[in-house]
Amino acid sequence: MDDYSAVIAMLNHTWFGSDLAPETQERLAKLGELQDFEAEEVVLREGEDATEMGILISGRLALRTLVPERGPVTILSVEPGDIFGWSAVLADVKTQSTVVATEKSQALVIEGTKLRAALKADHALAASLYPRVLQAVARRLRATRLQLLDLFAR
Amino acid sequence: MITTPVPSQTAAAKQWFLARTDLGALIDRLRESGRRVIGPIVRDGAIVYDEIQSAAELPAGWRDEQSAGRYRLERKSDERVFGYTVGPTSWKRFTFPPNLTIATAHRTGGFGFEQPAPDAPPLAFLGVRACEIAALAVQDRVFLGGQFTDEDFRARRAAAFIVAVQCTTSSSTCFCTSMGTGPEVRDGYDILLTEIDDGFVIQAGSLEGAAIVAKLPTCRPSHAEAGAAVDKVKSVRTQMGGPLPMAGVGGRLKLQLDHPRWALVADRCVECGNCTMSCPTCFCTSVVERSDLDGKSSTTERQWDSCFDVAFAKVAGGDFRARPRDRYRQWLTHKFSTWWDQFGSSGCVGCGRCITWCPVRIDVREELAAIAPPVEPIIQPVAVEPAAASPGSYSIARLASVRSETEDTTTLTLTDLDPAFLAGRPGQFVMVALPAFPAVPISISRYRANGIDLTIRAVGPTSTALVNLRPGAKVGLRGPLGTFWPIQEAYGRHAVVVAGGVGLSPLHGLVDALVANHDRFESASLFYGARTPEDQLFCEDLEAWSSGKAIDVTLTVDRAGPGWKGRVGVVTTLFDMISWDCTKVTAFVVGPERMMHASVQGLISKGVPADRIYVSMERHMECGIGLCGHCQMGSRFVCKDGPVFRLSELGDLFSREGI
Repeated sequence: MDDYSAVIAMLNHTWFGSDLAPETQERLAKLGELQDFEAEEVVLREGEDATEMGILISGRLALRTLVPERGPVTILSVEPGDIFGWSAVLADVKTQSTVVATEKSQALVIEGTKLRAALKADHALAASLYPRVLQAVARRLRATRLQLLDLFAR
Repeated sequence: MITTPVPSQTAAAKQWFLARTDLGALIDRLRESGRRVIGPIVRDGAIVYDEIQSAAELPAGWRDEQSAGRYRLERKSDERVFGYTVGPTSWKRFTFPPNLTIATAHRTGGFGFEQPAPDAPPLAFLGVRACEIAALAVQDRVFLGGQFTDEDFRARRAAAFIVAVQCTTSSSTCFCTSMGTGPEVRDGYDILLTEIDDGFVIQAGSLEGAAIVAKLPTCRPSHAEAGAAVDKVKSVRTQMGGPLPMAGVGGRLKLQLDHPRWALVADRCVECGNCTMSCPTCFCTSVVERSDLDGKSSTTERQWDSCFDVAFAKVAGGDFRARPRDRYRQWLTHKFSTWWDQFGSSGCVGCGRCITWCPVRIDVREELAAIAPPVEPIIQPVAVEPAAASPGSYSIARLASVRSETEDTTTLTLTDLDPAFLAGRPGQFVMVALPAFPAVPISISRYRANGIDLTIRAVGPTSTALVNLRPGAKVGLRGPLGTFWPIQEAYGRHAVVVAGGVGLSPLHGLVDALVANHDRFESASLFYGARTPEDQLFCEDLEAWSSGKAIDVTLTVDRAGPGWKGRVGVVTTLFDMISWDCTKVTAFVVGPERMMHASVQGLISKGVPADRIYVSMERHMECGIGLCGHCQMGSRFVCKDGPVFRLSELGDLFSREGI
């Protein structure tokens, strides 16, 4: 238990983790692994299997999509407290964008297979985690809609 | 409240002169009236109050020198009896004794509790200063002003005869002028003495006082003596300097319960309780039970206590004020803030004892200034009378410089202006015209010493013509026009500026004002979203603001290339980082209307009150003065009633389709 208290404390400081039930925080801490990423390190690559979901503890990640003739375009930055690779909660899904650390970053990374198995076996965990993931996705969707409006266009 | 005032018309209200050599007669008459006389004496290197038998015991020739954490007596060659200010003891020692048996209990001869009747010997207090009379009045309100009263105190106050003394000197720790309690004694006394060179100007303040005065070997004071008495007191007020800005300090303290200074002062404070023990108004007590060995009888003794005591707020389940900072905050906020709520006055009379007797030199005046500094009076700004308001009448300005902001946006600096333009306010706009081009409304993005900046996006013929001008060119201006950002609405609050795209232009002047006056705000933040990094305006200013400490700047862009290391996402995502109490936010928002709508929704969902959100609206304008009808928005013209609106002014017209 003590080994995870530091991770739980970190989760408590994140937007995503702070409202989760203590049992869920503990399960996530046990399921995940703290990983450090150097600046410009690729965390997930677009088109590859979605194998892990992460909760960013510190630093900044960029979600980049490759546009022919324009190269990689950053469409969103992930700030501390938010999640990335959320599609790993679903089986057989490809990663939708390349995730790159734009600065030295740290995240709690949970392997997708372990996460899905835990969600399937533990309904309390699923009941706690799914709404939060959905909130994160909905928030991102709302922001993306505003982005699509291209409000600052000439 | 105890004395029976003398009608001012009576002879007793007149002034008399009592020679210093006859002061003993006053003490004798007081003693003959059945009163024990309590007066100042020198003991243990300080002037304290205790019973005296004769004038010989008074501290003739002694002066005190006081400063924070320091008290020294010095013997002078003169024979002034009251040449000191105040010492460590106060009169509450006699009206509110440090130890008092308030009950006895017994188990023999039946089980019971008895409350002793008040034992209040007639006392005469000799040498009571103005601040001390005020302190007695404060304790009157505490002990006698509410539903439940302290009858022991009532009896002691009723039995106290007050011989007040005007201060003819002050210490550096005195601040009665700030608390409105001195230095002049105005009421609350039976006899009042003002010490001058050879004696005292004396007057009665009650019938009892008049009776004593009548028995003294007095004569009428000469004009010189009466004048000297007045001058002595006046000189003290001058000596003390201007009063501290105490108005509103109670309210300001209530807003500063989380101020970091509480922890800093608590680190210095040794919690000795000297301040509360020497304070003439502090009234906290605890009770101690003293039992005989067989437990058959006991006495309950009330003792002075201090809110600095570590166990003062302790209950079985824990301590409500466990940290020293909690206890210091309790003391200071009670004295200067919540005391007003409870008793209708300040709990401080400005005697300065807590400063002098603090072993670590904590000065409440400094702490108040740091924690709840005075706010300069808010002067509601008014719009300056515009120059050349009428359509067709233009004031000519010269283009001093042209600076490219982005691919299509340019900032023009105009000089040689009518002074009205320089007196404009952030948020206002000007109508700009060139011959053969229709006038367009442009926000003033910056006020300079001798000019104004207009930041213009080339979207039509006039704006395109303007951005293609070269330095030295002339332009026609009308303005400044419209409403402006009510920056004073954010004083004492978290000022949040939300800008999107070229919306930063009408906010630039506001940000300048926030930076210049950052001490007035709880915090200041700028959230700026642009389409891409290349579309950000005022890059140099953004960098300067970011590197300073006056405002927190957070930037985001809607999309970026791999070279951009900053945030990517719409500006509303930045609100996630708001961690402060949003009910204390005043927000200023400008951008495309849909972006403002999303921002306003985001701010309100975070708890920002709708009537604390201001927006700047954009509409087609021809005249800029409410005559052409183009910019009508419901019952308002955006040019004249806006462009800056309080959100609640717009009601459901804000961001409504087709308005």
